[in-house]
Amino acid sequence: MSSATLYSVSYFLVNYVLTHIGSVLPAPLNAWITNGDLVTGLAVLVFGAILLGASMINTIVLIWWERKLLGRFMDRRGAMHVGYAGLLQNFADGFKLFRKNTFRPREADWLGFFSGPTAYLVTSFVIFGILPISSGWNSGVLPLSLLLALAIFSFAPLFIFVSAWSSNNKYSLMGGMRSAAQMIAYEVPLLLAVVAVVIVSGSFDLTTIVYEQQNYWFWGPLFLALVVFVAGMLAEMERIPFDLPEAEAELVEGWNTEYGGMLFAFFMLADYLRALVGSILVVLLFLGGWTMPTWVPSAATSFPLAGIFWFMVKTYLVFGLFVWIRASLPRVRTDQLLRVGWNRMIPLSLCAVFLAAALVLAKCVWPFGCLPSMGV
Amino acid sequence: MSDPVTATEKSSDNPILWVAKPMVTAARQFAKSLVRPSTVIYPYERLEDPKFRDQVRIESGKPIGVGPIWDNYRGVHALNIATCISCNLCAFSCPDLCIEMVTVPGGDPKHPKKCPQIDYGKCSYCGFCSDACPEGCLTMTTRYELSVTKRSEMVYSPQKMFGIYEQKLPMHPIRVERPANEDQILLEPPLCIGCNACARDCPTQCITMLDIPKPEAKAGEKVPKRIWKEPVVNDSDCVRCGTCINVCPKECLFWGNRK
Repeated sequence: MSSATLYSVSYFLVNYVLTHIGSVLPAPLNAWITNGDLVTGLAVLVFGAILLGASMINTIVLIWWERKLLGRFMDRRGAMHVGYAGLLQNFADGFKLFRKNTFRPREADWLGFFSGPTAYLVTSFVIFGILPISSGWNSGVLPLSLLLALAIFSFAPLFIFVSAWSSNNKYSLMGGMRSAAQMIAYEVPLLLAVVAVVIVSGSFDLTTIVYEQQNYWFWGPLFLALVVFVAGMLAEMERIPFDLPEAEAELVEGWNTEYGGMLFAFFMLADYLRALVGSILVVLLFLGGWTMPTWVPSAATSFPLAGIFWFMVKTYLVFGLFVWIRASLPRVRTDQLLRVGWNRMIPLSLCAVFLAAALVLAKCVWPFGCLPSMGV
Repeated sequence: MSDPVTATEKSSDNPILWVAKPMVTAARQFAKSLVRPSTVIYPYERLEDPKFRDQVRIESGKPIGVGPIWDNYRGVHALNIATCISCNLCAFSCPDLCIEMVTVPGGDPKHPKKCPQIDYGKCSYCGFCSDACPEGCLTMTTRYELSVTKRSEMVYSPQKMFGIYEQKLPMHPIRVERPANEDQILLEPPLCIGCNACARDCPTQCITMLDIPKPEAKAGEKVPKRIWKEPVVNDSDCVRCGTCINVCPKECLFWGNRK
């Protein structure tokens, strides 16, 4: 594993630029500009800017990917006029929303109405600082990064509920209530499915989990956990068939009924950021992260960005699975959703945990062989 | 023995199939549309293009716009001004009130010829007007490109629709045969004053004014002052447009049945 992280790369960049600027400046400015605190602060900002740009571009491309896939599922072509194959359509849509007037209902609570979507977007974005994208380009080594990512991921119901309640609209409030109930119900099996992965890999660090999968990806031995995790992720992302909080047929637009313009764009971006995070987590936990399939020739594995390439391919394919599910299945009812969540998903995820424990005790993920941490 | 219907119903009780079946269907649809979706990329491609000949099942040799999907296509109207008899039935049958009868040159100066002018901003392309037209002079074509930059350009004058007629576009070949209107124009003779307005305005000239005997004046009564003529309608020529009923000053003509 390479020790170069995204933060160290941005620190190197800032340090390089500031040292060269400082060498041509007079004495007092020279010492000030090469000050260690300034370099660290700027490096953090550059790190954030790189992450923000990468995640935003990925999110918008993800929306394009969904529109194109969904179009083919519906026997049409999707966006195709702006840019090559409609790639720039979502940038145009985003710019339109950016130019729109931001307003709020007269009786809405000012603080909650504006802080809800902002906090929702920010917390969804912060997870990207934790997720490792590739062995050389992870953003830092955190021993508990999986726990931290899932903890930040589970903030969302609070902000959705705040923005729904402060909208002063009955449909928003109902959507917020449903969202909170759904997310809390599916948080439990989601985390239990993660526990299975943690038991097998023996670590909470996402980089180590990926390292454990370099011989055998976890989707085979932990298939039950994968199913539970994907179903729970669908509910967490509020995508069809679990899009009850946004049910257009019943609640106008769910918890973001009263939002328009840029605030709506915040919600939209955060939803797709969370979808991206969900796909990335599936790839990291079950599909081997940036490790390449065995049929890839060894010459192709040594390209500088091969890891990131395979990581993104897997992420977009996993998101394609979510789109496939969206195109196929109808929306479930609230009682069905909650019954499945508490009565079926939790026993299934407990089974997955016991299965993982048995695999570890047997020291063998038969028929898939052993993991690096299991010794032989 | 299990009923086969019940057996198939039981097989769909498996919850796995609730998920699997629609997903397989969607995947099949996805694979099919990866090759070629059903959509026509309109500004770049048009359904009239020869490449869609198989898709719209046009037999080769036929002009574009003739074929199964075009046969009851309802586009812009074509109007043959020469055969229009100004009967007003198109405007009468229009549910959107988008047809106005406007004067066109070439008629009798006293009784100007009137032809339909259609406002496509209101038109719903229902085709009732071309069904109602007794002479078959107002038909719908397969032309569908109507976008204009001004509201006033949406109003098509009779001359403009005559231009479309002269382009010999494929016409709407199927005329919906409505049940024949068996009603006839009846007269309430005591009210008639013999004014000739009905015979004058009848678009098919099927009304003839016939002389009737002037009654002898009885004692103490005056003979009413009128022209001693009465209209007689030729039912086989009448198109049931109702113009005579509308123009009658004494309201002595009405719909009815002689039998």
